[in-house]
Amino acid sequence: MKNSFIIYSFIFVLIGMTSMLVSCGEKSTQKLNVELLPDEGNPLVHFRILVKIGSANDPVGKEGLSALTFSMLADGGSKNMSYKEINQRFYPMAASVDLNLGKEISVFSSTIHSDNLENFYAVFKEMLLDPGFREEDFIRIKSNQLNYLEKTLVSNNDEQFGKEILNLMMYKDHPYGHTEAGTVESVKSMTLDEVNNFYQEYFLQGNIIIGLAGGFPTDFPNKVIRDFSVLPERETPALELPSQRLPDGLDICIAEKPTPATAISMGFPLPITKAHKDYFPLWIAVSHFGEHRQHLSHLFQKIREERGQNYGDYAYTDHFIQGRGKFPAPNYCRQQQYFSIWIRPLANSNRHFVIRQALRELKILIEEGISQERFELTRTYLLNYTRLYAQTLGERLGWQIDSHYYGYEDFLAEVQERLPKITLEQVNEAIKKYLNYENIYIAIVSEDAESLKNALTSNTPSPIEYANPNMPEEILEEDLIIQVFHLDVQPEKVRIANAVHFFKTNKLPGN
Amino acid sequence: MLKSLYGTLIALLILVPAVLKGAEIFPYEYQIETLENGLKVVSIPLKTPHIIAYYTIVRSGSRNEIEPGKSGFAHFFEHMMFKGTKTMPREAYDDFLTQLGAGTNGYTSDDYTIYFVVFAGRENLERVVKTEADRFINLYYDEEMLKTEASVIEGEYYASVSNPGRKINEVLRDTAFEKHSYKHTTLGYLEDIQDMPNQYEYSKLYKQRFYAPDNTILLVAGDYDHSQLMDYVRNYYGEWEKSGYVLETPEEPDQLEEKRIHYEWPTRTLPLLSIGFHGPAYSDEVLDKAALDLLGRIAFSQTSPLYQKLVIEEQKCVSLYANFPDRRDPHLLTINAILKDNKDLSAVEDEIFKELKRLKTELIAQDTLSDVRSNLKYSIARSLETTDGIASTLAFYISLTGDPGTINKLFALYEKTTPQDMQDMANKYLTRKNSTVATLTGGNNQ
Repeated sequence: MKNSFIIYSFIFVLIGMTSMLVSCGEKSTQKLNVELLPDEGNPLVHFRILVKIGSANDPVGKEGLSALTFSMLADGGSKNMSYKEINQRFYPMAASVDLNLGKEISVFSSTIHSDNLENFYAVFKEMLLDPGFREEDFIRIKSNQLNYLEKTLVSNNDEQFGKEILNLMMYKDHPYGHTEAGTVESVKSMTLDEVNNFYQEYFLQGNIIIGLAGGFPTDFPNKVIRDFSVLPERETPALELPSQRLPDGLDICIAEKPTPATAISMGFPLPITKAHKDYFPLWIAVSHFGEHRQHLSHLFQKIREERGQNYGDYAYTDHFIQGRGKFPAPNYCRQQQYFSIWIRPLANSNRHFVIRQALRELKILIEEGISQERFELTRTYLLNYTRLYAQTLGERLGWQIDSHYYGYEDFLAEVQERLPKITLEQVNEAIKKYLNYENIYIAIVSEDAESLKNALTSNTPSPIEYANPNMPEEILEEDLIIQVFHLDVQPEKVRIANAVHFFKTNKLPGN
Repeated sequence: MLKSLYGTLIALLILVPAVLKGAEIFPYEYQIETLENGLKVVSIPLKTPHIIAYYTIVRSGSRNEIEPGKSGFAHFFEHMMFKGTKTMPREAYDDFLTQLGAGTNGYTSDDYTIYFVVFAGRENLERVVKTEADRFINLYYDEEMLKTEASVIEGEYYASVSNPGRKINEVLRDTAFEKHSYKHTTLGYLEDIQDMPNQYEYSKLYKQRFYAPDNTILLVAGDYDHSQLMDYVRNYYGEWEKSGYVLETPEEPDQLEEKRIHYEWPTRTLPLLSIGFHGPAYSDEVLDKAALDLLGRIAFSQTSPLYQKLVIEEQKCVSLYANFPDRRDPHLLTINAILKDNKDLSAVEDEIFKELKRLKTELIAQDTLSDVRSNLKYSIARSLETTDGIASTLAFYISLTGDPGTINKLFALYEKTTPQDMQDMANKYLTRKNSTVATLTGGNNQ
């Protein structure tokens, strides 16, 4: 038997705990939060060390400081080991430390074979608990962060560029209102002392969740807890975020650059998150309307499948980061969420038409709701598809942590529990309550911005041409409606700026 | 709490080998059966509860695009495969997968197109086999559907049009290769993409040639009974007719002198450098490819002296790495760098060639070789954590040779490779005259 040495076992316990040491019964005053998912005999061990600090904690004028500080831990040396030495230790184990940066949570994660657990952990704990904060690491990482803002983001990835512009629009004068990487101006101003101080101020026991999953030895969590107990016990109070700013009408920002394709993101803040009961019916509605990279998506069917306009068109109830496969990555929890539509790049000649089409489809969704058939299809889909969300132990651990953040014992179990009880009426009520098609922020990356502005504000008809001369009649008839679909765009609500001027500060450039 | 867990989550099973030292890198038992029509089935029943990964590997990729004007066609055809059949049109196929809640997609590379359906519940297996067999045997689309889908491909091109990394890869391959179909990328040339609406007749020829059982391998892994699977497969795929087509890819002539190409990006960007060397095809018997692969990883990994110098110490580069993909025909070993400043392009290129020169005279230390072998083993082990991970990892290797055992043979070759072998391969392949240097700069990046 080639696999005779494989030991099969099920996860036998799932534990979430705070302020206690594991199994030894020893009392401790430490404030660490611990999430464990032990799986005896599993040769892999997953670490997820969450810090309940993100870019929303960046001081004003120092946007990007949390990213720079945490990058110094993940991509820099410790006091005892240079970054080079760390790489040399990690390489034979195929180990690395990944850093995910969010608005309110940052995560250091790694997966390691149990052959190497002790050796890996010895280095990993030093990286987090005894960082080197070397000048040469600081210069390198700061320079990378600046290059990302000045060149990569504005020039090399228009889809992400559009999403970040949408974020700036939605969260003006709000702690969410800058990219995790900060701004060119703020990053340039940062010093190594500021990084060190940020670490001292926020890398606290009370801010940290230690997540461990897999086949670690029984006493391993205690060891980790003891090690992390050297951190100050304090906790940073949860951020008190200001109310979200809803747009007044169609609020448009066009980043202008030479490009054959137009990237579009649009959306508006939502007053609810996964924690709210209405999230579930709203989720069904938005999944129907634009499930991420699935044929189920109505927008995908209308824009891509019927008309071949682009590679895909989706909608979201949450800030969405794609994880393994096309599944949502866990641990991007936030107190405030937003609804968004993502139109993947399309030929510039069709941009006006597709903006009209997306907004018209949203209007139809709100006015007509979804059908019984689509409701049932989407609900069945979500019930089955969410079973695939957490296939690895690391993902399961991530979802466990998210569950607790949003007040559930197990969010994925809650899905199975709640979705069958949701009614079509609840879904259509949620649509009317939370979605709208008239007050939306729209971020566009394109060329010849003035021409688009003129077309939008004057509602110029925007017919399109197809490679297929025999398009179905019903599509051409619908096109006649879409191409003149009225959008109430006021000239003063259309901001145009050269792409290179974005992210210099946390203000939107242009006027 | 446990009750709710059982209600929601698919219980995990340990799939990764408990101890890697000395074990075969791919430890799972598999069975291979071939139908009379040539369809090969690789089956890996696992004790993982619920999950089944159903992969269809078609040996159709950029490599198959041997005729002028047809670049990108393998990828285009992947899109057409989602159009359904007369008995199950696209909408019905979409609804079937939606109700199943399956993770599903297709992807195309140089040598293959892979379609997968990952789903829960062995009770759904027969429906999946039946539906997948139907679409591979009875795919139906008309010319109008093809024309519309061709526009989607153009949209996919646009989705990454702002990525300079894609562009430098495109120009490097176009320059380095003279005749072989690896000259173009999987997406294809834009002018060929724009001509796809006119390729309805060719698409039928393409299907006839390559979408046939003798050019396809089924790979199934997960929670099912093997004999039950084979009953379904025989029942639903039995009528699929062989192609018999033999693909003859153009032979790439030896490169006789160094080539250079520069691309000016329209907006400001970090400068890119990519140096390609013609190397050997994938082999699990001849060690040239394995030795060069190890050498590339050692010489340009994060622990290498050159990486330390250029990325960590002098900080001229943001990144530096080598890439030598496993391909059925000879491909390129590339050394790639993202720089910070245009003015350093020439110096970085010189440093890379200086390092290659050193590797031709100095032997790699045995410890360093052990480290890279270890890295490869643990990297693969991590990819085998899930049923889908096992299937997707193996699918790639199966696409190369048709033999699932090739992955273990490859790792045996890595074990056999000596520092002298690596030095010999450096001398044989990593020469100036065998190189193509591609650079990309754009805007004011100072």
